[in-house]
Amino acid sequence: MKNNIKIERARHNLTQGDLAVKIGVSRQSINAIEKGKYVPSALLAIKIAQLFKLPVEDLFFLEEGE
Amino acid sequence: MKSKYLISNKFKIPGWLLLGPGLLAGLLEITMEFDTDILSISVLSLYNGDSLFSNNNGFFLILTNGVLDEIIALCIIIGGLLVGFSEEKIEDEFIYKLRKDSLVWAIIFNYIVLMFAIIFIYEFTFFNILVFNMFTPLLFFIIRFNILKARA
Repeated sequence: MKNNIKIERARHNLTQGDLAVKIGVSRQSINAIEKGKYVPSALLAIKIAQLFKLPVEDLFFLEEGE
Repeated sequence: MKSKYLISNKFKIPGWLLLGPGLLAGLLEITMEFDTDILSISVLSLYNGDSLFSNNNGFFLILTNGVLDEIIALCIIIGGLLVGFSEEKIEDEFIYKLRKDSLVWAIIFNYIVLMFAIIFIYEFTFFNILVFNMFTPLLFFIIRFNILKARA
């Protein structure tokens, strides 16, 4: 699964650490999600999407074959 | 994510304070062959069936034993459990996944190393491997978890 978190983070001028604090997770989690190494739970995905005021589908995308 | 098996982050530092000196003392004891008869006290033995040099065989005996090695082993195990199974400052689902993956990795790696030792190491040296193997699952887990966390 791919995501636009890095782009949205830049748009809102947030560092990984800032976003992590706002969501209440570790900075490592945000980094791993951005790099596609970790697929977040639905709960975390919705929290991030709500913070950016976007539908989850605009932030997270399925890759081909998924 | 909350796990019912994890204890508070407050135990992390006490854990390191037990594990670090415990490991150091354990390595010193093995390499320098300390006299383990210091700290000799009477201990309760639930069962002793292999005493070659005395008649101390049977259930529920009071034996005299140097307890330095027991103390060191308990420091390593208790310290390792506290370090390995106390929460991180920020405990979330990704950290939980790292911990779970590290545990699986540590158990598999531990038994691969043990199989290698079973095949290639014999006699008294193998006994030493068994002693190390009391601690290596915890140690491999802690090392792996901290490496993955630092890399993430």
